[in-house]
Amino acid sequence: MTTTTAIQTVDDTRTRVTNLARIVSRMPRSAWPLLVFVALFLIGGLIRPGLLSIDSLIGTATFAMILAIASFGQTAAVIQGGVDLSVPNTIAFSALTFLTLIGPLGPLGGLIGALLGGLAIGLMNGVIVAKLGLTPIVTTIAMNGLLFGVLLLTFKNSELTVIPHLLTQLTATKFSLFGVKIAAVLPLGLLLMIVLQLILSYTGWGRSLFLVGSAPEAAKLAGQPVDRIRIAGYALSSVIAAIAGIVLVGFYAQASATMGADYLLGSVAAVLVGGASIAGGRGSMVGTFGGALVLGQVATLVAVANLGSNIQQLIYGAIVLVVIALYSRRARD
Amino acid sequence: MTLPTAPSRAWNAHGVTRLRREGAVAPVAAFLVFFIVYVIINPGLLTRFQLQSAANLVVPLALAALGQLIIVLVGGIDISIGAIMSLSNVVFALSMEHLPVPLAMLAGIGAGLACGLFNGFLVAYLRLPAIAVTLASAFIIGSITREIMDRPGGGITPAFYLATSGELLPYLPISIFWLAIVGVALWLVLQRSALGRHIYGVGSSADSVRAAGLNARGAQLAAFALSSVIVSFGAIMLAGSTITGDPRSGDSYLLSSIAAVALAGAAFTGGRGSILGTILAACTLGLVGSLLFFAGVNSYWQYVISALIVISVVGVPVIWRTTYLAIRRVRS
Repeated sequence: MTTTTAIQTVDDTRTRVTNLARIVSRMPRSAWPLLVFVALFLIGGLIRPGLLSIDSLIGTATFAMILAIASFGQTAAVIQGGVDLSVPNTIAFSALTFLTLIGPLGPLGGLIGALLGGLAIGLMNGVIVAKLGLTPIVTTIAMNGLLFGVLLLTFKNSELTVIPHLLTQLTATKFSLFGVKIAAVLPLGLLLMIVLQLILSYTGWGRSLFLVGSAPEAAKLAGQPVDRIRIAGYALSSVIAAIAGIVLVGFYAQASATMGADYLLGSVAAVLVGGASIAGGRGSMVGTFGGALVLGQVATLVAVANLGSNIQQLIYGAIVLVVIALYSRRARD
Repeated sequence: MTLPTAPSRAWNAHGVTRLRREGAVAPVAAFLVFFIVYVIINPGLLTRFQLQSAANLVVPLALAALGQLIIVLVGGIDISIGAIMSLSNVVFALSMEHLPVPLAMLAGIGAGLACGLFNGFLVAYLRLPAIAVTLASAFIIGSITREIMDRPGGGITPAFYLATSGELLPYLPISIFWLAIVGVALWLVLQRSALGRHIYGVGSSADSVRAAGLNARGAQLAAFALSSVIVSFGAIMLAGSTITGDPRSGDSYLLSSIAAVALAGAAFTGGRGSILGTILAACTLGLVGSLLFFAGVNSYWQYVISALIVISVVGVPVIWRTTYLAIRRVRS
């Protein structure tokens, strides 16, 4: 009885909802950051018409893509109900491993070595979280510290600047498409995003990350290997962070032990602005790219208004606050 | 809703029982072993100068860890703790240029308290997740700090150095004295006042606290406020011992405060954590670096060893329990 009345009231309120609200409520979460980005882009055009150009769009998108690549791994970690604060030093570790190994092993050997390093880091994070029951924050912070020590101990000259030509070509070289100069990292990142999004949305393993993130108990009762899924989630996170490290080396043509520091808070911010829930079970790669675009466009606007990087950080913080306030309100309704 | 009353009697029975209940046996034991090893490797620790510099190194970390502990007790985590520390460090150092010491201290603590109330309000009354809120406020507070002061400076006097980081008596660094005062005061608040019991209660079961008609949100807000005041005090001690205000001085305390609380055996789901354990854990982690220095080991190892200490303190009991159960299953 009570259920039917409940359904009726829901139906009643639904009919009262206007068409616009219905469209808005059905819009996927990942569309929101993209919409906000378009709005910010237009606002930028109002402030300074010169900003309303393809070149400016590509510039912001390139900056955002770098942040997004560093945040895709974080997205996977957040979806399965954790957080990966070891992203910064995983990035640096992979970058320095790559540059150290290409001497003796060649570019492919360097790539494989760096990715294996990332995999090992992720597996350790996952095993400690899933099997030992240490909280994700503490585990990954400890791992971040451990990696920092390893970085300082292993790579004596922590600044390496000899970058293989091939990698520069794959990331930083600009090519011309319909008369617009585009850095190669943009299509590379888009490809990575699409592959990861397809894995998340359409493979059983991808879906199981969401299940474990939103209802671990239910997943356990359904006979899912929760621990193994968790471990795989952290492994994916670290492997992508390792890829990000190599991309960063190619794009900025340098590597150092502290090169990942900006991505500690930056990656979490991009993931949250992209519509993921910090409690797990929600998020997408496309959304994370959208979140990175929003943050990138804010950086552009701040630079145009000549406010300095300090104010940019302040605005980032305010955006994250607004976003979590909006999402958690909607989640409770 | 029958709240268990029996444990509270047992709590007051024995100090050791209580320490075990709060998960503090491992950090206390770890500290004792560590301290003995330290003194064997470097007997010079027990000279006046080294005691003083070791204390000055450890006390700000211990205070930051106590601040983190209070947030962890209510089931949260504070990502902005380093930023709060930098802000109140900078505000204090800058106020020292114009104001008398007590007013400058009030300014520093007031700045920290404002951050704590901001975080606490968003977490307790808007019910936003603590990790996300404090992540955002870490950005905001960090930015404000660098707006106030963009490079190290400020007007801290040598007299203030002596008052915070000198010696109270021979062989008794004054910073330990200040830490003890804060520790005892915090212990009184947490263990002997209604507010303290509410803070522990909110961490173990916010619903039960609410069902008992208590103000769970108020307790959460108070925890954030209390935490920020202690962290600000740590920032002032740090400013005293370095004789400068530095907009980046708090950065490293984010990770080390969380590591210390983890080592102290506190439950990150809330409701369990010991003050003594946290202080000793902070002392252990804070001195790893200088122990390695005296042992002639590359001090970069401190990052690796600190991480391994944190992981093994949690991991070893779990592994021990699993093997114990496995052995028992094989026997039966």
